[in-house]
This record gives sequence, C-alpha cells and structure tokens, in this order.
Amino acid sequence: MLRVLVVEDERKLADVLAAALQAERYDVVVAATGEEGFYRANAELFDLVLLDLMLPRRSGLEILQTLRQRRIETPVLVLTARDGVDDRVRGLDLGADDYLVKPFALPELLARVRALMRRGRPMDALRFKAADLELDVVARRVVRGDRLVDLTVREFELLEYLLRHQGHLVSREMLARDVWKEPRRATPLDNVIDVQMARLRRKVDLEGVPRLIHTVRGVGFVLREGEP
Amino acid sequence: MSWWSRASIRVRLTAWYTAVLSAMLVVYASATYVAVRHEFREQLEDQQAAAAFGHEPDADSEERMEEQLHEILVVLVLGLPLIVVLSGSGGYLLARRALAPIDNLSAEARRITADRLDARLTAPNQNDEVGRLAAVFNDTLARLESSFDQLRRFTADASHELRTPLSVIRGIGEMGLRETRSAPEYKDAIGSMLEEVDRLTRLVDTLLQLSRGDAGTLRLAREAVDLGEVARDVVSSLGILADDRRQRVDVHVRGEAVVNGDRLVLREAVTNVVDNAIKYAPAGSAIDVSVEGAPDRVSVTVTDEGPGIPAEHRDRIFDRFYRIDEGRSREMGGTGLGLAIARWAVTAHGGEISVAQAGAGSAFRLIIPRRAA
Repeated sequence: MLRVLVVEDERKLADVLAAALQAERYDVVVAATGEEGFYRANAELFDLVLLDLMLPRRSGLEILQTLRQRRIETPVLVLTARDGVDDRVRGLDLGADDYLVKPFALPELLARVRALMRRGRPMDALRFKAADLELDVVARRVVRGDRLVDLTVREFELLEYLLRHQGHLVSREMLARDVWKEPRRATPLDNVIDVQMARLRRKVDLEGVPRLIHTVRGVGFVLREGEP
Repeated sequence: MSWWSRASIRVRLTAWYTAVLSAMLVVYASATYVAVRHEFREQLEDQQAAAAFGHEPDADSEERMEEQLHEILVVLVLGLPLIVVLSGSGGYLLARRALAPIDNLSAEARRITADRLDARLTAPNQNDEVGRLAAVFNDTLARLESSFDQLRRFTADASHELRTPLSVIRGIGEMGLRETRSAPEYKDAIGSMLEEVDRLTRLVDTLLQLSRGDAGTLRLAREAVDLGEVARDVVSSLGILADDRRQRVDVHVRGEAVVNGDRLVLREAVTNVVDNAIKYAPAGSAIDVSVEGAPDRVSVTVTDEGPGIPAEHRDRIFDRFYRIDEGRSREMGGTGLGLAIARWAVTAHGGEISVAQAGAGSAFRLIIPRRAA
C-alpha cells in the first residue's frame, strides 16, 4: 500500500484529504503542525508528502528545504493559498514536485497524486479500453463495439483524457487546463466544455448501449463502466 | 531662517515690501540731499566769485546755507522711518485683504472630507489667481469624488456578488439538514453547493487578477504574439458555443498582426469579448472577428448583429460588475467582470478598448500598439 503524509494544520481540510486518499486505497498519515510533519517525514518512509505552505511555527517552505538538504527525495506536492508566480517558482525551486492552489477540486488533487506516484514508471499507454470502447492514440482511431466513431480533434483529445483518468473524476478546471491549454482560471470555458462533452457523448454513448461518460453534478465528469 | 519659513505669507510679504521701500527711500533721500547740497555749494561759489569783483561779501550766507541743509537732513532722517512705518502698516492691512480669499479657501477645504466630497470651493472672482486655484482644486475634487464613488459602488457590488453564492450554499445546506432525504436528493444538494463554490472560486480568482493589475504587481510576459493566431485560436475553442446557437463566426486577418505582449492575457481579452458576442447576439446571426495590422498597432474588432448596446451604457460597460440587464447576464453564468478583464488586459499593453454601434449590433475594438508601453 502506498503511504501518503498529509501536513496540514486546518483540521477540516486535513480530514477531507485523508478521507479522499483513503477512498483511493492510500495509507494516510496526518500531521497537524510543521514540527510534527517534519519529524515524521524525517523518521518514516513515505511515497508522497502533501505539504501545506502556511503552517504554524514552521513554514512549509522551510520544511521542504530542510528535507531536500538532508537528501530525502520523497515526492512533495505543495498546497498553497498563494498563487503568485513568485510563490510557485520558489516552491518548485526548493524541491517541490508539483503545486496546487487552494481552493482545489479533489479530483484534481487525486489526479496529481496519481501522476506523482507514476513518475519514473512507463505510463504513456497508447491504447485505451473501457467496456467495448477502444481508443488508439497512434492511429487516431476510436471504436465502440464494432462501429468506428468519427471524432473531431478536440473530441478525440477529450476522450483520450477521460480514458487516461478512467474511473476517476475529472474536473472542468483540469479539462480547461490540460485539454484546452488554458491555465487562467478566470477565463470562461465551462460552457464550452459542457457543450463539447454533450457532443462527444452523443457519438460515444449511443442509445441501447451502456453509458460510459457520466456527469457528476458540481464536480465534473467520469468515464467508467457501470454506475458513476 | 527658521523664523522666516515659519512666518505667514502676510508677514513675509509685508517685511519684503517694507525692506524694499526703505531701501528705495534711503537712496531717494540721499540723492535728494546730495543734489541740494551741490546746488547750495554752487550758489555759494557764485557769491564768492561776485565778491571777488568788488561786491560786498555776504558773511551770513554760508552759515545760513549750512543751516538750511541741516534742516533738510533732519526732515529726511526723521520723515523716512515715519513713512516706512506708515506704509508698512498699510501694506500689512492690504496683504490681509489680498490674502483673505486664500484663508477662506483653506477654511472651506478643511470642511471637505471623504464623506463630503460633493462640496466645492467658492472664489469671489473666477479669473484671478485665487479663482484659478479654486478651479484647479475643484477639478481635483471632482476626480476624487468620482473615483471614491466608483470604489464604493465596486465594494457594494463585490460583496453582493460574493454573498449571493454564499447564501445559496448556506440555504441548501440548511434545507438538506432539516429532514432525512434520499441519497439522490443529497447528491443533488451537494452538487448544487459545489456549483456555487465553483462560481465563488472563479469570482475570487478574477477579482484577485484585477486587483493585482491595479496594484501593478502582475508582470506581463513580453513575447511576440500573433493576434491573428490568437483570434483563430479563441474562435476555434468558443466556436462550439456559436455552433450550438447556429451562429457563424468568421475570422479575417489583414496584414501582419504580431505585437509584443503576454499571449495568455491577450487571449483572455479576446476570449471575453467573443464570448460576450456569442452569448448576447441572437441565434442564427453572424459574428465577425477582424484583425488588422497597421504600421504602429494591431486592432481586433468583434462585430455582432444585435441587440446592440444603448448609448447610455456604452461608457460604463467596461466597469466592474456593470450589467445592462442584471437578471439576464447572471442567468448566462457571467461574473460581470468579463469586459473589465478585457479592458485591463488591453490597457496593461498600452492599448485601448472601445465599443461602437454597428448596424443593429455593436463593434468592440481592441487596439494594441506594436511597441507595447
């Protein structure tokens, strides 16, 4: 079982993070102060550290810096309420592997965690399969059952993204950033995503076959066999 | 020096005036005295010359002249301070009269506070120095008043916009807890709360971006950006919304359209304007996005076929949270900040954004100078 250390002083948030990670079958340890987090990261072995930057007594950046100085190379995902470019660059310079700006959506956090855990392992599959749906990245071909599905470029990218995160929730923010390449949160793309998703669904989930793409209200989408 | 700089203008004015007057009087009195004495000497010499030709010399005349000279000297020396004192006091009084309007102005200005910016200074004569000073001051006050007004309106609007989703979240939560409901009902309630959270998040992000822009802490990238490419990019990503409403969006690029700026920020500006056009133009209409490169600037013009923006709103639609139709734009999921962001993005590049009537619809024009300021 993969072990995750959550260093977060806001108790409610720590509980939510722990519950979400446990639901994904990670072994979770919560540290409520910077001191404790630093002590545990130093003394025990973890596969990943979720580190809040604003902690009482000992700041997240300090902890990160000391860990890296001691050659502890556990991947660190930084959680921050500050999203100024300087803050991000500083965090990454000090050895963070990724960062997430509060408030973040849980599906996004889980996707980042998965990505960090996969790091260094071959992950880029070129063929995906879900029920009777098959997608071939190289041939740019999608087949549902025995029928070829004709998709536009954007629809194809969208479906590929959903398949890469198969069984996991995908938020609109993730889609905007990763599929539409729009990193600014203030840009209005939600309607675009919804319309695009509706079209993709019309082509993939035909009448009479089990639905694969599901909308989870208020959260985003998930591609999964059976119930969402 | 310190006494001098602390003294009022009235005192300093009087002191200067008196000093200059004294100096001139001294020069004038000395000159008079010297001239008179010279004249007397000449007369005396004439008399002595006449005496040499056998006339009876007047023994008293020299003495009398000396006496007269002495009298003149006494009059000059005693009269001079008297004149200086008299005209000094006169000057002091006059200075008070001349400076009184300024004292009145400062008394009036003292009564103007942040809460009473609508008050204006009065000057008896609009055309003299004091009148001009009052006019300049009033002008500044008017500008201050309008920016204070804007700030007040913005704060009220922002708190309204932030409170609305908060009260929705609270209401749904309280309703959900009131009695036991079925699982799908709970899911629906939670989903709708999360939708409001999304809305809040986007609002806060947008406000943050604007306030960073105001504070000047946002650094723009400086790279070569092809606005024609940006326009095509925006239309290809938003085109699906137009498609859904059977609208046609055409992009025309004339001339070379490369500017020096921040691609993401510029794209955001174009996205917001095109998004607005798609949202508000009637279904089945056409939208035109024209990019034109001039030697010194590049313009992007987004023209739609209606419903147009009434003239009285045109000045203010770029203001934060300004909405022509409150209910309608909220329903469409707008934050009320789209055009404000667009204006900020364009002015941050030293450009201008404007809107004009175009047939039944409107034409938004973004002008970006090649050499961004």
